[in-house]
Amino acid sequence: MAIELAIGNPVFLRYVAITGALLVVSGLLLAVLRMTGRDVSSPLSTYRGWLVMIPIVLGTLLLGREATIGGVTLLAAFGFREFARATGLYEDWWLTGIVYLAIVALGAVTLMTDPRLDQPGWYGFFMALPTFVIASILLVPVLRNRARGELQQVALAIFGFIYFGWMFMHLGFLANTENAYGYLLFLVFAVEINDVAAFTFGKMFGKRKLRDRISPNKTLAGSVGAIGVSLLLPWLLWFSFPHFSPALLILTGLIVGIGGQLGDLVVSYIKRDIGIKDMGTTIKGHGGILDRVDSMIFVAPIFFHMVRWFSGAG
Amino acid sequence: MPVMNTWKYHPSPRIGTPVAESLKSFPREPGMLAYAVRSIAAVLLRAWLRAYHRLRIDGRENLPASGSYVLVCNHTSHLDTLCLLSAVALRRIHHCFPAAAADYFFTSLPRSAVSAVLINALPFDRKAGGAQSLAVCAALLQEQGNVLVLFPEGTRTTTGATGRFRSGIGRLAAGHDLDVVPCHLDGGMRAWPKGKLLPRPGRLHLRIGQARNFGHLDRSPESVKAVCADLRRCVTELGGENE
Repeated sequence: MAIELAIGNPVFLRYVAITGALLVVSGLLLAVLRMTGRDVSSPLSTYRGWLVMIPIVLGTLLLGREATIGGVTLLAAFGFREFARATGLYEDWWLTGIVYLAIVALGAVTLMTDPRLDQPGWYGFFMALPTFVIASILLVPVLRNRARGELQQVALAIFGFIYFGWMFMHLGFLANTENAYGYLLFLVFAVEINDVAAFTFGKMFGKRKLRDRISPNKTLAGSVGAIGVSLLLPWLLWFSFPHFSPALLILTGLIVGIGGQLGDLVVSYIKRDIGIKDMGTTIKGHGGILDRVDSMIFVAPIFFHMVRWFSGAG
Repeated sequence: MPVMNTWKYHPSPRIGTPVAESLKSFPREPGMLAYAVRSIAAVLLRAWLRAYHRLRIDGRENLPASGSYVLVCNHTSHLDTLCLLSAVALRRIHHCFPAAAADYFFTSLPRSAVSAVLINALPFDRKAGGAQSLAVCAALLQEQGNVLVLFPEGTRTTTGATGRFRSGIGRLAAGHDLDVVPCHLDGGMRAWPKGKLLPRPGRLHLRIGQARNFGHLDRSPESVKAVCADLRRCVTELGGENE
């Protein structure tokens, strides 16, 4: 991944064209709806959010491997920050400090070259890192000689690191693969389309609630429709990974369709248990960072290991 | 079978506050990332002032070692705030709050972010005599170990001469057991005059005077005026300005 490669990369250019076209079409659609006198203030602010986010994502990818890994690391750190502020863990500076450092360490080993295999990204260290991080987190109560309430704090820190840090950072590790542009662009695009499809099908046909005690707005129809769209997308965007067999295309569709919705539901029940509506206010019209990237957290590691398993070291 | 108790969460009270607004609100929520960025910025700032502006600081020993105090200084450029921040011990940097005009330093998101995260500025509402913001300052100074940086002129001078001191500092100090340290910065006007985007290299000289305490006065308007006049005299004398 590098600037020169991106500009001449047909996959990158096609995604720029596709997202650009989608933005223009949806913008026109909103304009028409507005002219017919409908209230479009809520979708409009979501649309504005996309207008900011899409250029940032494409620009970061354009800048190459280092920028992409750095960007994913920042997202993980700020995502964890939202989780820490939502739960109250942020008041514990020892534990949050360790998790921040651990997320930076994840970014560093993702950037490093594997000393034995001489490949970009130190895979072995990346997979071993949670052991050391969990050990460090567990030692904090011992060092400060405190027991009351410590299990909750420690459990929250471990969960925050593993889920929002380590699992999410697999997305950054994909930047080390040879087909990085295809994988990354497809995943980001497909996961977001999956979200939009679930919302749209739900609005149009939704009756039965999917999980009424977790997220009352999600419906069975939306979920099924989204899985259908996600199964279709790898075929439409086959150019992203021309070496994939049809079986892999189906598997990819299932990972995005099911994994994306599960990630969404996990963050939903976390919010519900805490008793908040959004994780933050960073992105206007979307809520916090975690409200936007939640669907990626399951998809990124599972897709990563699928690629690794079926195409060797990736 | 015993049922486990549910966890008790303690979400930040500002979880739903938009970023721009939570940057403006005060007192600020202590955040580890902001502290880290501010500490790094403070070290870099000190190095830059030494190297680029040859900053010299005299009278550092006059800064009270403990307790809360106010730094008052003449105001010729943005460099004043930066120099005063660099005079305070590095470990107190997160408890050092320059009062900054809310209608200038907190108008846009990038400006607010720089003011709140890097400078640790206290948004000061200049309208309506600043009564509300002065109450915030007074509460801040009641706590232990806080430093308030105040420019009693209220705005940067365009002539170089120190202007009239507004009554705010008088109202904070008169009749209160509070140390007020007069300071004078020389060279700010030449290095970074009002209206210029970036500073030019130019020597800076910060003089820190002896702390004043006006606890023996009453809180009448006359005392407030006397405090302002006394502090203005201290500041101008430090700078050797002729009246």
